[in-house]
Amino acid sequence: MQANAELEPSVHIRELKKDRVNFVLENVDLAFANSLRRVMMADLPTVAIDTVEVVSNTTVLPDEFIAHRLGMIPLVSANCDEAIRETRECTCDTACEYCAIPLSLNVACHDSRTLDITSNHLQYDPSVFNPQQESGAEGEELTKRVDNFGHPVGKNDPSLPPVLIAKIRKGQELKVRCLAKRGLAKEHAKWSPCSAVAFEYDPHNKLRHTTYWYETDPRAEWPLSDNAREEEPPRDDEPFDFNAKPQRFYFEVETDGSLGPQEVVMKVSKHPSASCHCAESLEFINM
Amino acid sequence: MPDAGPSTTKYRSTFRTLEREKKFRNPPKDGSTVPILNEFVTPHIESFDALFDDSGLPQGDGDGRGLLSLAVRDIGERVVFDGTGQVGTESGQSGWGNRLSFWIEQVSISKPRVPEKIKHANDIRVYPFEARERLTSYRGRMSVKICWKLDHQGEVERSVIKDCGLVPVMVRSVRCNLRGLSSADLVKKHEEPEEFGGYFIINGNERLIRYLILPRRNHVIALIRPSFVNRGPSYTPYAVQIRCVRPDQTSVTNSLHYLSNGSAMLRFSWRKQEYVIPIMLILKALVGASDKEIFEGVMMQDYENTFLTDRVELLLRSFKMYSLYTGDQCLEYLGDKFRVVLALPEDWDNLAVGAWLIQKVVLVHIQEAREKYRMLLFMLRKLYSLVSKSCSPDNPDSPQHQEVLLPGTLYGMIIKERLEEALNQVRNQIMLDVRNQEPSVDFFDARYFNKVLSKVNFDLGSKMSNFLATGNLVSPTGLDLQQASGFTIVAEKLNWMRYISHFRSIHRGAFFAELKTTAVRKLLPEAWGFLCPVHTPDGAPCGLLNHLSRTCRIITAPLRVSHLPALLVAHGMTQNFSPSIDGTKNLCVQLDGRVIGWARPQIAKQLAMNLRIWKTEGRHDVPLDLEIGYVPPSRGGQYPGLYLFSSRSRMMRPVKYLANSRNDQIGSFEQVYMDIACTPEEIERGVSTHVEHAPTNFLSILANLTPFSDFNQSPRNIYQCQMGKQTMGTPSTALQHRTDNKLYRLQTGQTPVVRPELHNTYGMDSFPNGTNAVVAVISYTGYDMEDAMILNKSAHERGFAYGTVYKSQIVDLKDAKGASRSMSAPTLHFGLGHDIRTEPGDKQHWCCKFLDLDGYPFVGTQLSPGDPIAAYIDDTTARTRFVKYKGDEVAYVDEVRILGSDAADSECQKIQVTLRITRSPVIGDKFSSRHGQKGVCSQKWPAIDMPFTESGMQPDVIINPHAFPSRMTIGMLVESMAGKAGAMHGLAQDATPFKFSEKDTAIDYFGEQLLAAGYNYYGNEPMYSGITGQEFAADIYIGVVYYQRLRHMVLDKFQVRTTGPVDPVTRQPVKGRKRAGGIRFGEMERDALIAHGTSFLLQDRLMNCSDYSTAWVCRTCGSLISLGYDDIRLGEVVIGPSGIPKPTGPNGEYCRVCRAAAEQEDERQRKAMAHGNNVSNAVKTDVRVAISSVNVLGSTSKGGDLDVVAVPYVFRYLCAELAAMGIAVSLEVH
Repeated sequence: MQANAELEPSVHIRELKKDRVNFVLENVDLAFANSLRRVMMADLPTVAIDTVEVVSNTTVLPDEFIAHRLGMIPLVSANCDEAIRETRECTCDTACEYCAIPLSLNVACHDSRTLDITSNHLQYDPSVFNPQQESGAEGEELTKRVDNFGHPVGKNDPSLPPVLIAKIRKGQELKVRCLAKRGLAKEHAKWSPCSAVAFEYDPHNKLRHTTYWYETDPRAEWPLSDNAREEEPPRDDEPFDFNAKPQRFYFEVETDGSLGPQEVVMKVSKHPSASCHCAESLEFINM
Repeated sequence: MPDAGPSTTKYRSTFRTLEREKKFRNPPKDGSTVPILNEFVTPHIESFDALFDDSGLPQGDGDGRGLLSLAVRDIGERVVFDGTGQVGTESGQSGWGNRLSFWIEQVSISKPRVPEKIKHANDIRVYPFEARERLTSYRGRMSVKICWKLDHQGEVERSVIKDCGLVPVMVRSVRCNLRGLSSADLVKKHEEPEEFGGYFIINGNERLIRYLILPRRNHVIALIRPSFVNRGPSYTPYAVQIRCVRPDQTSVTNSLHYLSNGSAMLRFSWRKQEYVIPIMLILKALVGASDKEIFEGVMMQDYENTFLTDRVELLLRSFKMYSLYTGDQCLEYLGDKFRVVLALPEDWDNLAVGAWLIQKVVLVHIQEAREKYRMLLFMLRKLYSLVSKSCSPDNPDSPQHQEVLLPGTLYGMIIKERLEEALNQVRNQIMLDVRNQEPSVDFFDARYFNKVLSKVNFDLGSKMSNFLATGNLVSPTGLDLQQASGFTIVAEKLNWMRYISHFRSIHRGAFFAELKTTAVRKLLPEAWGFLCPVHTPDGAPCGLLNHLSRTCRIITAPLRVSHLPALLVAHGMTQNFSPSIDGTKNLCVQLDGRVIGWARPQIAKQLAMNLRIWKTEGRHDVPLDLEIGYVPPSRGGQYPGLYLFSSRSRMMRPVKYLANSRNDQIGSFEQVYMDIACTPEEIERGVSTHVEHAPTNFLSILANLTPFSDFNQSPRNIYQCQMGKQTMGTPSTALQHRTDNKLYRLQTGQTPVVRPELHNTYGMDSFPNGTNAVVAVISYTGYDMEDAMILNKSAHERGFAYGTVYKSQIVDLKDAKGASRSMSAPTLHFGLGHDIRTEPGDKQHWCCKFLDLDGYPFVGTQLSPGDPIAAYIDDTTARTRFVKYKGDEVAYVDEVRILGSDAADSECQKIQVTLRITRSPVIGDKFSSRHGQKGVCSQKWPAIDMPFTESGMQPDVIINPHAFPSRMTIGMLVESMAGKAGAMHGLAQDATPFKFSEKDTAIDYFGEQLLAAGYNYYGNEPMYSGITGQEFAADIYIGVVYYQRLRHMVLDKFQVRTTGPVDPVTRQPVKGRKRAGGIRFGEMERDALIAHGTSFLLQDRLMNCSDYSTAWVCRTCGSLISLGYDDIRLGEVVIGPSGIPKPTGPNGEYCRVCRAAAEQEDERQRKAMAHGNNVSNAVKTDVRVAISSVNVLGSTSKGGDLDVVAVPYVFRYLCAELAAMGIAVSLEVH
């Protein structure tokens, strides 16, 4: 496939929505495509609640479970690598405005109805920081932030239902102070911007990477995926090309909202593990 | 009664989420959330209710009195006399004096209440939650009315109410304050809406009396047991046996043994002592029967049968030696022999004693002597029939001849016996006083009697509590049971499944557990529909501990059957007193072990049919729960007859009667002679009599909850029944009101996508037991070998299978060091004393992080091992002392309960702390699907490394394909498909077994659904390696399977040790995880190392890492234990008596044996010198040393030549032990 190797890598975006992007990546090798997938899932920094200080918790859920639930809430992390520092690299005492987002939750139920504590109750609250402690070196992070950076995704957006944290009844309250920090999904899944990455190549199995098990008729039992329409079905008499390599990769990236789908794909292109493969190959992605 | 009829509601493929949530938020105010749960414990509760007169149960044929009243009536009166049996002026003609009789008139148990001295309580009722939370028992006050009467003119009956202490009361029984409460009210009383009771609360633990299998009452079974021969000379293996039950449910077993001389002996036991009486004696004593009467009665016109005539002749002849001819003579003879044993009133004559004996031990279920006589004749006939091989022995291990010992029945039996004992003690006390001629004895004075009563221990409450707490039966009679312990169990709330199965478990008896033979454990076809074939543990209790099938009921209400004999006579039965019945042509008709008539086989069969139609249609007042066992005549089969059973404790189950399509209840006796089709398709015209309401009814509740269990290899379903009960699930919805020692909780339980219909019926959604996991069946990275499973690390981080363990720690200052033993004011008080700095700041005491000023821990505090959990001040020392958290892992304080005393009048001395331990899944934790497929988590791969499908789906769990071929759990594969389709379409998939057939297969049903969702028909999908991104060469079976997290976790089991505690005697590491001990490196492990030739490793394991020690050994005598020390300082030597420096080691070590020998030698030589005898050669002493003479260095080294060697310490110990026995061990050192 000498001819193909010279072809320029290309991306064809089939669909772009608020939380997902569907694109076809062509003329790259399998290892590159997969590393793209892996980076999208685990190597893009986002912010997520990392430390939780429970002031008062009279809900039915134990402290550590609430903390876990808080950690799972997606927070807006646009432009995360510039807008916030890694706490471990910050020179501050424990946490500061450059390396952490202070959030607090203070809900009590006074009605005789069940109250849902949701991510909408999370407030940006600088008082979470200890004023006695030194903050890190001056930086430009704050200017690079979008307005709602570090806020729960979909807050103040009536079209998006908030994330339920706990349900409380009359007389119960939940008061916690949280610090959201920057991190990678390698460390904990809560920092993953993607909820799923669909990945497919060779829908007709022309390369014979796989074998379809069947009872009577593989064509009847194996439904073709939608991506099969993009490629020509193999003719019955077509000889098997054992030198062929996968060329076209069908991606669908769904994010949890902390990063937009386009940002995810953009970031990947700049990621060192992607760029080491082919330095400028994805520079063309321009959306 | 678990739903009798066929299910009327059609299966709905929804999860009923809203319905469920609504019910949970607003439990029904007029009934129960899950009514069926109340039904399945009815035998527990109703059997307890039956103890009382106001049980609310139907009256049956009796007068509606409770078992306790009946028991008290059966106990009868005790009689004492103030004379000593010597005729005197005071003591009347017989010498016995005044006759005082006393008896118990009435027994009552109240509902649990607060002690009477508390006047200010808002509610005097005590509810179970209080007992549970305060770690006390749920008890009601018991009292008896004791009456006494002096047999003297002008004396009236007098009575006194005697307190019997607090008796544990069954929750939700008629004596429980939760009786009849709706779910909404239950929640108000801090119970779960599903609370169904049936247990007792003892010291905060829920304990129940487990069902026990007993021989069927009032039915004669034929036995052939070789062991009967050992009973005495001329005994044979043949016997018939009947377990007779009195109206108060106490029983006596009568056996009739066949002797080789043709006669028979009646055996019974009285106070654990066995007695045998010739049957002729009884027959004559009962009705004064003549020999001819007996002959005719046994023969029943079968004069051709020479076998029978010969035996009966022998029987009659053998009795001639007794020279007893009339009934009264027999009674007097019996009375004379048994007078001492029975301890009856002294003024009774032998006749009365004999009559009493017959009344109390022979066929006690029958009152009338004539009927007893008839029944005994029947037993004799059956015995002879058995001996002549014209009928087969009955199998006592078959449910056909079994019934159930109900909790309430046993409870009543124990109370009866205790009351009887108390009464006997009163008699003994008075008799003792009379014999000792105590001056206080005055039968006319009520004070004397009251004084005697106060001396006797009437505290039944503590005895009953003890019985329930230990399960041990302390009984002088043994209650006609084969075991004395193991009656009660803890109803562990590990998870809901385990909890509910306790109430359906039924044990064969502790006696059988020790039996070598496995015949009793066998699953018999007779058990179909009564005992679940699947739900039994594997291992030691296999087949002995069973569980009732889902629809199996146990009859607890008495039935009205007194009109049945007349009804049957009207339809062709010959009456039982007819003089000339041909025994060869007629079958015996019995009702509850009474002969009620005779009928020819055709008529008997017709009668059985009529009765069945009547009972199913409710005509002629024939109760539905009547069991109609028609045993047809056969050649050498079961002894024929028509046996009707109406008694309690029988197992019955609902089926459909085909003749009139009505619901019928059938018992385990009659089922053997029925033809019951499992499904309507199986009905055979003219053969089938009944059809099952549902083909799954023979399974227990738990077995029914295994999805697609009909696809699995049967042992896998057995394993699932075990593992379902070990699952970390949702034990309770009222967790904050529980104080269990250990509770496991799955934080993120889900309802299974694939579930049988009964999942809803039993309300299992209130107590989720696992999570729906995406499972790929693939061999990936090798970490899923040998039943290991790979967990998706990202799924785990998102909360997959996250669990919590709740433990409780009790701090009781009464048990603390320094507590005052007296009942006066306590000297220990919870709190922080003045010696603790509590004000915040640097100088604050470290304990303030954990404890509040009151000495209790803060709720939510993290505790590490050794942290303080409570503090108290000791008055005597005025110092604060801490109680430490005793666990070995980090825990959080979840709840602190301050427990006061019963009367709420003393200072708090006891707290209970619930601790929460987080248990996120880690490598080494155990998981299982619902198909007996358990596995251990071996690796947690991050999502990027997990394989994925084209749609980007990644499995939560990866299991190895090798888990399937040998285990054949096809049900799991089907569940995977069904789960996947259900998840895609939003369906709750019906996984009830036996729904599919060969023509309508599950694969096609779910395959179509998958195809509709865009998947492969058979559930496979192409997958890609997460590491390389390459498509796998094979497509992968991936679907959704419900996974359970089992309670076995590494954190509870891991054992590591480098150094640690050693045994003081052997200096080897101790064993046991709790003590930080080591793991035994045993013989076989040693063999392996020897075989490998790894001698260094061997030495390291067995010596260096175990009990390595160095020891001084004497080269001269080879002794290890003769080490002595001279006190020397550097450069000094000890000079012996002979002036020569004594040879020692560098620190003065020497061999005491050698030195003593040398000194002795010296001494001898000196003496020889003194006497002038030059003895060059010493007298040869007996040489004990096994050293070759080359190595003996001679007497120059007077004190031995010591050397250090490395030996295991136990070896030194062994040498010392051997020396103690006079054996010397000698080492040769090279």
